[in-house]
Parts: sequence; C-alpha cells; structure tokens
Amino acid sequence: MKLRGLQRVGDELAQAWIIVAKDIRVHYLRPGMIMFGFLMPFFMFFSFSVRRAMAAEQGVARLLALTTFFTAAAAGPFIIPLERRLGTYDRLLAAPMSLLTLLLSKTAVGAVFAMAVSAVSLLVGLIVFRVTIAQPWLLAAGAVLSSFSFSALGLIFGSIPTRNPGDVQMPSTLLRWGLLFISGVFVPLAEMSTGARLLAFVSPLTYAQDLMNHAVLGAAMLNPWLDLAVLLASGILCLLPPVWMHRRSRQLGY
Amino acid sequence: MNDAIRVNNLTKVFGPADSGVVAVDHISFDVRRGEVFGFLGPNGAGKTTTQRMLTTLLEPTEGSIIIHGHDLARDAYPVKRQMGLVPEESNVYTELTAWENLMFTGRLYRVSRAERTERAQHLLETFGLWEKRDVKAENYSKGMRRRLSIAMAIIHRPALLFLDEPTPGLDVQSARAIRDLIRQLNAEGTTIFLTTHQIEEANQLCDRVAIIKQGRIAAVDTPERLKAAFRRVQSVEVGLEPTAAQVSENSRASWAGVPGVTTAVKWGDKWRLYTEDPSVLLPQVLDHARANGLKVISLSTLGPSLEDVFLEITGQQVGAVRHETPPQPRQRGMKGGMGGKR
Ligand SMILES: Nc1ncnc2c1ncn2[C@@H]1O[C@H](COP(=O)(O)OP(=O)(O)O)[C@@H](O)[C@H]1O
Ligand SMILES: [Mg+2]
Repeated sequence: MKLRGLQRVGDELAQAWIIVAKDIRVHYLRPGMIMFGFLMPFFMFFSFSVRRAMAAEQGVARLLALTTFFTAAAAGPFIIPLERRLGTYDRLLAAPMSLLTLLLSKTAVGAVFAMAVSAVSLLVGLIVFRVTIAQPWLLAAGAVLSSFSFSALGLIFGSIPTRNPGDVQMPSTLLRWGLLFISGVFVPLAEMSTGARLLAFVSPLTYAQDLMNHAVLGAAMLNPWLDLAVLLASGILCLLPPVWMHRRSRQLGY
Repeated sequence: MNDAIRVNNLTKVFGPADSGVVAVDHISFDVRRGEVFGFLGPNGAGKTTTQRMLTTLLEPTEGSIIIHGHDLARDAYPVKRQMGLVPEESNVYTELTAWENLMFTGRLYRVSRAERTERAQHLLETFGLWEKRDVKAENYSKGMRRRLSIAMAIIHRPALLFLDEPTPGLDVQSARAIRDLIRQLNAEGTTIFLTTHQIEEANQLCDRVAIIKQGRIAAVDTPERLKAAFRRVQSVEVGLEPTAAQVSENSRASWAGVPGVTTAVKWGDKWRLYTEDPSVLLPQVLDHARANGLKVISLSTLGPSLEDVFLEITGQQVGAVRHETPPQPRQRGMKGGMGGKR
C-alpha cells in the first residue's frame, strides 16, 4: 500500500514534468515568444529603471523583480483558455492524475519562462552594467520563488471558466498594474507614508523587490527570510482559487 | 461484475437547476464488458454531454456513473487509467508531429518507453501515418488528424474506449479504416462506447444501441430488433402531375387506402407513403396513379430516417403532426429527417 502511494507520487511528478516540457515546446519555443523573452528585459529597463539617476545595482534589482513579475504573466494565463478552445485541455483533465498536479505543472511552465527571461535580465546587469551580486544564492532562491509565486497568481486568471483567451486579458492586466503601483518598486518602502506602506505589504511584488535588493545590493528593509516565506505562502494560496474555478468549469461544461 | 458502465438516473442541466437547459434527462443504461455499445441520436440529443460526463470532463447534475465497479464521483483515478477518449473535434497538438503527439500521450499515461515506441509504430502503420510521422499535425488533413486522435486514445491499451461521432465529415476511406479499427479493437477485448447519428454505422458496428432523443433514452436494444421497428417505417416517395400541392385532401385519403400503405404524408410537392414492404407497394402505386389519371414523374424508395424511427419507437404515429406545429394539412414539423452536422 505504501509502495503504491510512492509509485503514485512518482507518477504524478513525472506527469507534471511531461506537461511542462510539452507546454514549453508548444507555447514558448516559438520565434515570437523567444524574441519577446529577449526584448522584455530591455523594454522593462527603459520603461521603468532610468527615471532618475540611480546606482546601476539598484536599477538591476528593480529590473529583476519586474521581469519575473511581468513575464510570469505574459503567456501563462492564456494557455488554459486557449487549450480549452482547441480541446486539448480535455486530454489533461481526462488523464489519470490529480488536478493539483495539473495546476502545479501549469504554474511551473510560466515560472520556467519567467526564470529564463530573468536570466537574460541578469546577464544584461552583469555584462552591460558590470554590477556585482552581493548574495548569488539568495538571488537564485528569490528568482525561483518569485517566478513560481507570480505564475501561480497568473493561474487564477487562467482558470477563469472560458474558452476565450481574450476574457482573461482585462482582469489579469488590471490586477498586475494595480499591484505594480502599490508595491515598493518605484518608491522604496522606507520613503513611503504609513498608509502606503501598509498597502504595499499586501502585494507579493513588494517582497520580491525587497528580496532582490538583498541579493543585489546586499541590503534591504525586510528580513530576507520573511520575503521568501511570504512569496512561498502567496504562491500556495494562489493555487486555491484555481482548484475551485476548475470545479466550476466542470459544472459549466468548459 | 459483467457491466463495464452502469448509469443510473444521469442528468445534466446547464444553467440554473429550475430554468436551465436539460441536456440529459434522467437516463439509465448499462454497457456490458466487451460489447460495442452505440449511442444513437440526432444533433443536440445530449450524446456529447453524456460522453463528457462518462469521461469525468463534466459534472453530472444528478445521478450516478459506475465504471468497472468504481463510482466516478468518488473514485475516478483507476477508471481514468483504463479509458481512452476520442472527442468530437480532433484535439491533437498541431504544433507537434504525429510521433511527438503519441509519445506525449504515452508518457502521460505512464506507458514504458519500450512499449510506447513499439505501440506508436504499430498504430502509425495501421493508420497509414507512418510516412508522415515527423510532419507537424498542422499539415494533416481532417481524416489524418482524426486517425491520429484515435491512435492517441489507445496508445495505453484502454479497456474502455469512448468515441464521439468518429466518422462524419471524413472521406470514405478514412471512415472505413476507422470502422475496421473499432471492430478489431473490440475483437481484442476493448469495450466500445460509440456515439453516432448514423443509423447505418450503428447497425454495422454495435452489439446494442441506445436511442437518445432530447436527453432521454427512447429504447435500448440490439440493432436486429431495432431494425424490425425500422422496417415499419420504410417509405415510397412519389412525385405526381398534377403535383401533390394541387391534389385535394380527398386524394390523401385515397393514397392511404392503397393496400400496403400504413400512412400517407404530403411531403413538399410529393407524397410519402409509409410501408413495411416497398417492393410490394411500388406496382400498386403505379396502378393507383393510372386509375386516378395522375402521371407519375418520380418514384423512389427511402430507408427509414432516424427521425421516423424515433417517432415509431416513441409511439407517435409516423407522419403525424408534431405537437409544436398544429393543424394545417398533414405536414410534418421537421423536414428532411436527420440533418447533417451543425
Ligand atoms: N456547455 C453547455 N452549456 C449550455 N448548453 C449546452 C452545453 N453543452 C451542450 N449544451 C446543450 O445541451 C444539448 C445537448 O448537446 P450535446 O450533448 O452536444 O448534443 P449531441 O452531442 O447529441 O449533438 C444541446 O441543446 C446543447 O445546446
Ligand atoms: Mg455531439
């Protein structure tokens, strides 16, 4: 009995990985997406980072937080409605595996893409701006956790019961920009008013930014362990609404 | 435990329980292990909805489904391992090749590498896709995609295979290849649940057929016994000069009086005469026309339409006025019998 349980866990992990590999193949390894992945960091940099004279390190820390935040949402939320429309999502829903495995795999796909693009951002920082990374291990852990967490956030929108990817665009974009402006990205937490800071603590992006400040600059406002814990917790919490929304889809027939 | 599937009181209402669309309405049936079970009905009857509930993709509003002894609502995992699913629209990954599609599905169902490569080669050869195995499925014809989608559904050797209208819209060759394959799989022991709106397909393939209409099952029986019902609704269609439209109600009565005619219905500008034996009726029709000074300009024998079979099976009179289109001459509410696909 115990062996069978282990076998099942092994199967589910393998299945999650198989779906990740397939999704990367099908949805991300396309010329358009690869171009996007390479251009995104530069776009991010020129849009948000050079607003005022700042240290290169600070710019790169911000760039890293923003690339994970935006790329995890770039395509992930649209994949499920698209696959529902093509009927291929039924293959995954009918397969012998748990819903949680499917949700984890879809989260991982978005996270892998976000990590790949963050790596481009990091290279830009290292080569173009010659920044030094204060805590490389923290950077790695932070990039992985933020990518998963933001990808799970995107999964909430991907789970909207619909076959039309367009239905996902509006709510997903609104929430992301909303979070962007309340988070401690443009205005450092230390310079915020108490009210604004309380609001900033609601957004996971605040913790990702704080973590990147630790990793790149070697100093930030919050405890890095707190940042990691909050990102992990918010990632797990973000998986709950999709479970419920998938049940709803199964009733509605999407 | 000889039943592969036991369905009890299965119901699906889309939308609010009291005012929604009742797609499937308290149906019950059993599918025996090793049989080809046909699920026959016109478009919109609730076939796809039923199949989606049986394959865990849709949650029933009411009722229970037991497959191989497992209640689907509580214990779907072992069932999912044993079933294969071919949906109405071929859902292959168009960005992947046939080979990659099969490998993906094989791995998803945890088929070992040795087995899935051997089986994939066998299936691709059987389906005539071996030469095109490295071509992306986006370049495939509709028939090729359907064949690939069936291959993907059986790479893990399911004990139970669901097919939702596998042949409509395909070229004759593909359709025949698919029917042959269904027979072969069944001979190897696979239980088959086949959804179709073609009587002939059900006749050729199925051990038993359930007839579903407007979400309800009208009959479950062997094709032989259903055919007995079909025979009563064969018809002869006769075009006359002057046309049927000009012929009075009197004439209807007189056509109904011709020996061998069970019901006479004006059908467009022709008469449709229902009979159990067209071969006996044909000479009678010519005699009757001659005797009444009518010129026969066309004459054809029609097999039973599914629509007629339904009326027969549900106990309504063939050619009777349907309740939603009251009086007027005896014209039927629905023309042309079973339409094509939406
Ligand atoms: N997701 C859905 N939402 C609302 N109505 C639906 C849905 N799916 C099917 N229906 C309705 O249920 C009925 C049965 O449809 P379906 O099962 O597809 O029929 P069939 O496969 O026999 O052609 C139809 O009236 C159809 O419009
Ligand atoms: Mg259908």
